[in-house]
Amino acid sequence: MTVSSNTRSRRKNLLLDIMLFVICVLLLMPLLLLIANGFKTPQEILVWPPTILPKDPTLENFHRVFSETPLFRWIFNSLSFALLSMIAIVITSTLAGYVVAKFQFWTINVIFTLFLATAIIPFEVYMIPLYFQVKALGALNSIGGLLIGYLVMSFGIFLIRQNVIAAVPDELIEAARIDGAGEFWIFWHIVVPLLKGPIAALSVLAFFQAWTTFAWPIVVLTRKTAFTIEVGLANFQSAYTVDLALLSAASAAVMVPSVLVFVLLRRSFVEGIAASGMKE
Amino acid sequence: MSSVEIRNLRKSFGPTEVLHGVSFTIPDGAFVALVGPSGCGKSTILRLLAGLEEVSDGELLIDDRVINDVEAKNRDIAMVFQNYALYPHMTVAENMGFSLRLMKRSKADITAAVKNVAEVLGIGELLDRLPKQLSGGQRQRVAMGRAIVRQPKVFLFDEPLSNLDAKLRVQMRAELKALHSRLQTTTIYVTHDQIEAMTMADIVVVMRDGFIEQIGRPLDLYDNPKNSFVAGFIGSPAMNFLPVTTEAGSATFSFGDGQSLSLAKFKHLQGEFLIGIRPEHFQQQKTRNGLSVTIESIEQTGAETLLQCQSGDQKVVIVLHDRFAASPGEEYRFGFDLADLHLFEAESGKAISS
Repeated sequence: MTVSSNTRSRRKNLLLDIMLFVICVLLLMPLLLLIANGFKTPQEILVWPPTILPKDPTLENFHRVFSETPLFRWIFNSLSFALLSMIAIVITSTLAGYVVAKFQFWTINVIFTLFLATAIIPFEVYMIPLYFQVKALGALNSIGGLLIGYLVMSFGIFLIRQNVIAAVPDELIEAARIDGAGEFWIFWHIVVPLLKGPIAALSVLAFFQAWTTFAWPIVVLTRKTAFTIEVGLANFQSAYTVDLALLSAASAAVMVPSVLVFVLLRRSFVEGIAASGMKE
Repeated sequence: MSSVEIRNLRKSFGPTEVLHGVSFTIPDGAFVALVGPSGCGKSTILRLLAGLEEVSDGELLIDDRVINDVEAKNRDIAMVFQNYALYPHMTVAENMGFSLRLMKRSKADITAAVKNVAEVLGIGELLDRLPKQLSGGQRQRVAMGRAIVRQPKVFLFDEPLSNLDAKLRVQMRAELKALHSRLQTTTIYVTHDQIEAMTMADIVVVMRDGFIEQIGRPLDLYDNPKNSFVAGFIGSPAMNFLPVTTEAGSATFSFGDGQSLSLAKFKHLQGEFLIGIRPEHFQQQKTRNGLSVTIESIEQTGAETLLQCQSGDQKVVIVLHDRFAASPGEEYRFGFDLADLHLFEAESGKAISS
């Protein structure tokens, strides 16, 4: 009896493992093909069925990408844009989220509703008016101009607000007030340390939001050296041809930083999302 | 050490007034318990004193200085919260030294003060732990330590023992009382548990619905309650109230079920009244006065016997300090001393003294 049920559960686990493995392979396949393509000759890329391991691996594509395009410059642009946007969003979200969670006045509730309302308006709707403002400010082709659309994230404010409500009891703040702490001191020394998880999660979200954004940079950036990676990569696709080998090599090269960041922050990311409301 | 005075204190939340002009004075070094059912306004008084809420009207004074508009951090008050409010990311030592750090005291000073208080409270070996690594009782001690270390003028306790189990609560009660007699700091203690109030406080303030019902020493409240609310609230199990009627000059007070009682000193009264008698004032011995009841259930705890009885359509609870052999359904007559009886006006609940 036990033996058979043991065998059955083992068989079930094996089936599950196989299924997960297949899904994993399907998810990874485009990525693997992309990386492989980067090492292929232009002829091999067009071979059908596609090869997973290049027959005649070459570094030529990478060499051309780095010599013909300012790829490092683009990576630097993207990185600074994503990092600055992340820092701005973390600061605005924690401050605003804390205030809307703990300072209950009707005016603040109205403001919070307005914050949330901005989430239902697609960015593309106000992208063009925003472009004219950036242009008027003379901030086209600059990180500053890029950042204007990415300083505040309504979801971030919401995320922090929920976590403050769940993880920071009123008594903690009141105890600190009686103990002699000022409001900003309380925010910095009591509230922020208790929000480490959600802040890490928000950082990852904000970073990738800026890192992967395309529409706004392509509107604001026209000079080649000011491009972010997304815009730069799109540039490989000219009106007449697509240089697949070059595009693959460039894509594979720029994937490295994002994969690294995610691997490094993965734990806090998952914890931050999962932690909301589950504190002791 | 400081005296605290509350003058005609009012507090409204929106259109709802929750404190309707409360006044009392707490002498220097006294231990005062504010007690009453939930929603009576006792915690509000504490929060007003702490500076966590704004006073709607009236005055709060510490050492004869009005503190209505003084910020919480400048009132020199320490408060212990019901859920302890320990900073979860700080160690016990950091929690306890928090206020001293804000006062910009030197590190050596803080360490010495924290260590000293930790020794007094018996938590010396826990200083490096985080709050989540402590038991409920230990957290309670840390919360008290955090308050004591500042040497404030006034301690405020907001139901500090209600999250502890029954055994620990009794132990902490004794420790708190010992601590107070040692430090002699003016203490205001909010609780809904009248036993805590009775056992620890020098003065008990009984509140209901934003009014003070009675202020007095614990045994004064027990012996001479001003009204049926205080009489019912102080003492456990609660006092029995039996409706009676009497005619002027007759001195005979009749219960609903045909029984009656002769109270010569109240013969001038007429109308409907409540007779109050505490469960522990009934006796097994036959006395001249008594009450016949039908026993419904018997709970033996060893030290005492608790009887749930019925007299007419009234429930009567009786506590005997001896063993008692009877079975449910039996009728029995219990005696009492007239001196232990309380008489209240039926409508207003006001106590009637002879």
